[in-house]
Amino acid sequence: MTGGHRRILVVEDDPETAGQLVDSLTTSGYQVDLAATGNEALSRGVASDYAVITIDRMLPDIDGITVMRQLRDDGIAAPVLIISALGEVDDRVRGLRAGGDDYLVKPFSFVELLARIEALGRRSDTVVKETVLRIGDLAVDLMSRTASRRGKAILLLPREFQLLEYLVRNQGRVVSRAMLLQHVWDLHFDPSTNIIDVYVGRVRRKVDGQQAYPLIHTVRGIGYSLRAPG
Amino acid sequence: MLLAKTLTSTTFRQALIAIGVFGVIASAIFSYVYLSTSSYVRSRSDRAIMTEYLSLQGAYERSGRDGLIALIQRRVADKSFADNVYIFVDPSSAALGGNLKAWPSTVTTARGWTEFRASEPLPNATNRPLLRAMLGTFPSGDRLLVGMDISDLDSFTDQIKTAVISCVALIFVVAGFASILVTRRTVGRIESINATSRAIMLSGLDKRIPLRGSNDEWDRVAENLNLMLDRIETLMGEVRQVSDNVAHDLRTPLTRMRGRLEKAYHGQRIGEDDQLLIGDTMADLDAVLRIFSSITRIAQIETQARKGAFRTVNLVEIASEVVELYDAAAEQDGTRLTVVGDREVLVTGDRDLIFDAIANLVDNAIKHGRAGGQVVVANEIIEGRPVVSITDDGPGIPVDEYDHVFKRFYRLEHSRYRPGNGLGLSLVAAVARLHGARIEMLDNSPGLKVKFWFSASTS
Repeated sequence: MTGGHRRILVVEDDPETAGQLVDSLTTSGYQVDLAATGNEALSRGVASDYAVITIDRMLPDIDGITVMRQLRDDGIAAPVLIISALGEVDDRVRGLRAGGDDYLVKPFSFVELLARIEALGRRSDTVVKETVLRIGDLAVDLMSRTASRRGKAILLLPREFQLLEYLVRNQGRVVSRAMLLQHVWDLHFDPSTNIIDVYVGRVRRKVDGQQAYPLIHTVRGIGYSLRAPG
Repeated sequence: MLLAKTLTSTTFRQALIAIGVFGVIASAIFSYVYLSTSSYVRSRSDRAIMTEYLSLQGAYERSGRDGLIALIQRRVADKSFADNVYIFVDPSSAALGGNLKAWPSTVTTARGWTEFRASEPLPNATNRPLLRAMLGTFPSGDRLLVGMDISDLDSFTDQIKTAVISCVALIFVVAGFASILVTRRTVGRIESINATSRAIMLSGLDKRIPLRGSNDEWDRVAENLNLMLDRIETLMGEVRQVSDNVAHDLRTPLTRMRGRLEKAYHGQRIGEDDQLLIGDTMADLDAVLRIFSSITRIAQIETQARKGAFRTVNLVEIASEVVELYDAAAEQDGTRLTVVGDREVLVTGDRDLIFDAIANLVDNAIKHGRAGGQVVVANEIIEGRPVVSITDDGPGIPVDEYDHVFKRFYRLEHSRYRPGNGLGLSLVAAVARLHGARIEMLDNSPGLKVKFWFSASTS
């Protein structure tokens, strides 16, 4: 986040859910504005400059998708996270087509929401220009698509490299399993098995096996985080 | 196609039976007409011959051999008896009179009726005409034959016979054509109803059977079926509305519940035991939510709304991505997971859903297959249809369970205590229905082979 730009607009009509959202976002150091209706969201969205806007799909007055489209038409470029009811398969497609940057299906975990907001907020930052990313003794070369630790090459399959790259690009942040599926595999479904854990396990053995310190950490109940020690 | 259906249809078979019965009756009637006509004609000529014979016989009895010879000469000279033939011979067969040169060699009987072909042409008849004659032997040994040219008669009955046979043949041909035409029309209407039913099964309830506007019984059948479809569509809509409302009404309290639990979990003054308890509760809640979202997802797929987003996708690419995703899981089980078959198999469908279906099948194959075994995903085109098959070499499933495993929440006895919710294969089945695909389960002995038959590409 540039210049303490950690202001978020939450558009949610259910008071308790809204309260929980505001609580957890505030705890994580965000400044949160709340809008309970679509009209309120429109006026607030235009008035201030937000890092991220979360919009519930179902609002009492205007549909969430319409609100987002209206904001886009008004020249608001802030990333939008659509929150929709569970199982509404088509909403994902419609939401993203209408200009949403990410979506989350209700009910969700707040850790997941935080991870998504972190990732979205970063997207509006300046783009990383280096071709080699370094964390601790790990070097990831984006051009030659190779990785090494302490100069020693790590043999990775293309998909494994993509996974490592996504973790490295989000270093220090929590990355959920759903986010990995979405960004590494371009999949929008829940395999309901531990398939991602097994896959990350294999990458982890290649990256962290017989090294001085581990880089990939499990975050209980949500996913993974790649960070340097200390 | 339509002709084959016409020929195998019930209507056509019934028409054939009707034609058969009608044909037999018509043949019987015509045969009777033919037989009675020909026997009438024959009996008339027989009577004429007999009368003539009797009058000649009378002349012989009255005035002896010479009297008869004189009478025969008069008869031969008389033009009104031109059709008649006569031969009168003595016991040594020497001709005494008549217009035949000699006693016919083929006639050996002493008396009664005979038919023979003349040995020479007659003055006013066709070449060697067929003759019918009455012959007799007088006590003196003299023999008399009185006959008549029946060639005309014969050709007359032949004509009747030809007429009768062609009539029957014509009836068969015309009736056959008529029944094909009528059946074609019937089959055509039934086919249009069938085609609509198939389209409805494949793509949803929005299709209707076209009416011809002829206001006949077919239009009424179509109308009633359409009304039934309207009703079903309304009911389905109501059911969907209810489940949508349930889903919507549940989502808010569930979100609150999860939020509270999560807040408690991350709370400051919480013991490790409590944290464990809350963590487990959250995990259970998530499992419930997953089942719930699987059900809504299957319901969503079944509304067919996703068909609008269908595009051409390469089955091999999707299968390869699934295999890549499950590669690590297979490796953990010591299972060898491979893709074989063609390089490109194109289908029209939803990439995410096809991925989901193949992933579920591969997941099952790894989970229920033999540890250290093999799972093979094969893409190919069989009989013009794209097919992806997933094969394992594990214990397989009993044949009588094949139909049940696609039911919602159905679980085989031995897998009841393993993780999973029994919805994976229902989802596979829903995806198959959406794509108009057929799932076939085969015994791989050992193991199970699941074949996913897409419909032949229409593009």
